[in-house]
Amino acid sequence: MASDATQQSDDETAHGAGDDTVLEVSGFTKIYPDGTLAVDGIDFSIDRGDFCVLIGPSGCGKSTTLHSIVGKIEVTDGRITLDGEDITDTPTYERDISLVFQDFQLFPHLSARENIRYGLERMDVPEDEIEERVDRIVQLLKLGDLVDRNPSGLSAGQKQQVALARSLVLEPKLLLLDEPLGDLDYKLQKHMERELMRIHHELDTTFVYVTHDQTQAMRLADQIVVMNEGQVEQSGTAEEVYDAPSTAFVATFVGDSNTFFGELTAVSEDESRATVETAFGDLQASTDNLVSSPRDLLETEIPFSVRPQYLSLGGDRDNKLSCEVEDVIHHPGSGTQVVLNAEGNADSKTVMLTSRDLEETPSGQVTVSWAPEHTILLEETSVVPGVDIETDILGE
Amino acid sequence: MCARSVTTEAIGKAFGNERILEDISLHIEEGEFCVIVGPSGCGKSTFLNCLSGLVEVDDGYVAYDGADVTGKPVEDRDIGYVFQEFEDTLFPHRTVGENVAFGLEQQDGGLTDAAIDERVEEVLELLNIGETKDSVPEELSGGQQQRVELARQLVRRCDLFLFDDPLADLDYKLQKQMELEMRQIHEELGSTFVYVTHNQDQALKLADRLVVMNDGRIEQEGTPTAVYDSPATAFVARFVGDSNALTGAVVRAEDDEVVVDSEVGEVHATPRDDVGEQAGVVLLRPEQMAIGDAASGRDTTIQAELRGVTYTGEVTEFSVTADGLDREFIVSEPGRPSFGFPGDDVAVGWDAADAQYFERLSVSDSMTVKDIIRF
Repeated sequence: MASDATQQSDDETAHGAGDDTVLEVSGFTKIYPDGTLAVDGIDFSIDRGDFCVLIGPSGCGKSTTLHSIVGKIEVTDGRITLDGEDITDTPTYERDISLVFQDFQLFPHLSARENIRYGLERMDVPEDEIEERVDRIVQLLKLGDLVDRNPSGLSAGQKQQVALARSLVLEPKLLLLDEPLGDLDYKLQKHMERELMRIHHELDTTFVYVTHDQTQAMRLADQIVVMNEGQVEQSGTAEEVYDAPSTAFVATFVGDSNTFFGELTAVSEDESRATVETAFGDLQASTDNLVSSPRDLLETEIPFSVRPQYLSLGGDRDNKLSCEVEDVIHHPGSGTQVVLNAEGNADSKTVMLTSRDLEETPSGQVTVSWAPEHTILLEETSVVPGVDIETDILGE
Repeated sequence: MCARSVTTEAIGKAFGNERILEDISLHIEEGEFCVIVGPSGCGKSTFLNCLSGLVEVDDGYVAYDGADVTGKPVEDRDIGYVFQEFEDTLFPHRTVGENVAFGLEQQDGGLTDAAIDERVEEVLELLNIGETKDSVPEELSGGQQQRVELARQLVRRCDLFLFDDPLADLDYKLQKQMELEMRQIHEELGSTFVYVTHNQDQALKLADRLVVMNDGRIEQEGTPTAVYDSPATAFVARFVGDSNALTGAVVRAEDDEVVVDSEVGEVHATPRDDVGEQAGVVLLRPEQMAIGDAASGRDTTIQAELRGVTYTGEVTEFSVTADGLDREFIVSEPGRPSFGFPGDDVAVGWDAADAQYFERLSVSDSMTVKDIIRF
């Protein structure tokens, strides 16, 4: 199930092969009639049975990509293959792919059960098979007697479940979901996240899911595809994307992070550490995340980041900053967030620290420190050319 | 800057035959950041509209600084009001600066043009959109437009601001950023903020005073920590923060503990209210439960099966199930520890002090044990 490395390895052994691709997107480009380049030649593939989540800021091309996979948006260039078959020009209804919308789009005059049956009737599936398949899916989604109601008698969460049932009953090779929980209440969203994970776990269907909510992506995904300005910044498991972001964009977009930049001035003997000269003094970083040899990056400008939970109050660790406490937010259940302002030479910066066991509320001038091994060097700012670390990523 | 206190006394409101608000009494101190949270349909937006005067109350009264304002028209109340839908309220052909100044020009403050301009620039800086002053709304991103809408209200420097889920339509990242900014803005203005949201996570972060509503009534009010740590009802414990629920009746009471005969056998818990004979619920916070070796030696330890492992960055969530349980429990641990593979047996445990037993489910009579479990 979601972001579950152990489960994945079990599945791979069971299937006998690790590389069972169901969808392949290669060189996919979309230019809208007004000339807008929405997606710029992206490549990614999805393994059978995976829960794949496309995330990125609004306008990054994630919804365009989803709607091109289902055939609702024409491809300008590139190829989409499903089970090895080129479907780039195949009409939507022949694709064996189903899409669930954020606004459900149920037929208001039909009961939930009739809504769920509708697609199978259109496909001329024999009546007893329709009944069997509908019953199975109704049971899987725990819809019970709700199926006798019309959409107007259902809550938002129930409508979403019916919309999901209507797509799942078709047993598509791919189920696409476009921000399906976006309109739901916070609590209902959390509940439906769990339901989606359970349903995905019980079926073999491959899910492709679009959201701007990166915590939802972390929870749900076997594979996360991070998009930015029509390009793929990184594709990998939740662990890979969070613990080993390939660009500064990914490090700041997925999860909270403190991102710095400066000139790489020295590399340790064993090449495991590097020293970066920043506006806040020299800071040490781990070279584990680099693709290039650290020595090749000497005297270049490089970004790096550290997650807020690795910072602690006091100067016990190698990387130290002197900061002013700006705000302290006690968040019951998940600890305390401290908003700090670090003053450097000719620069200042907001720094976040989170702690689950802070005994006293900090105030005034404090020293924070963190270990070099939690400081990740980022090879690039972004895969998008011209993205500037200061203005575009740090927003300073 | 001054701030107002807001008091409501026994407010009631019905639309037709439907009771929306029932006997709501609340006092909000001057300068407080008060957040009202509850599920959709709980009446929180109607309550906010009663505070502003947009909706007339049927019973009870509303007072600002102790003075009854119940009959006073909304335009005479000098309050700021920010809604969730903002796109259509900005003038498309006027610049951001003009849009923001509009609110001030409408006010009978007798401000000079220079004074207006100064205040507009100040508020745009406060909201980090100083550079958009000469742009028109359509040149701005959704997040920037929402800030302009905020600026248009905040520039008026009212003593009281009401917010109806103003961040709900924003992207996740932008929401998180704006949450921090809302706290700063509140701090700098010093006014009283009353803020409605369905997002309990946001509510916990923003509030000085948290008010939890359900079914037209107040379930509980208090600081976020008090509401989270000492919920008054099972509904509050379920709605605010994450929790796992067991149900059963008390078989023994010993000192300040009870033993509940639940789906997974006898479990130890702390009663939150009087114990009777009816079945209640035991609620457990995911971060207060122990898993693996740490589970042994707790007041209650059960054998469970590991179902799934979800890494969320700061914490890892383990979903487990046990004999007798038709659902999964979530146990969360900081970092990325391992407790075996899905399908493996794993021990799960907790101390009685961290398990809260409720027989009082909600202030609403319609809530059943089943509803609480399913929540």
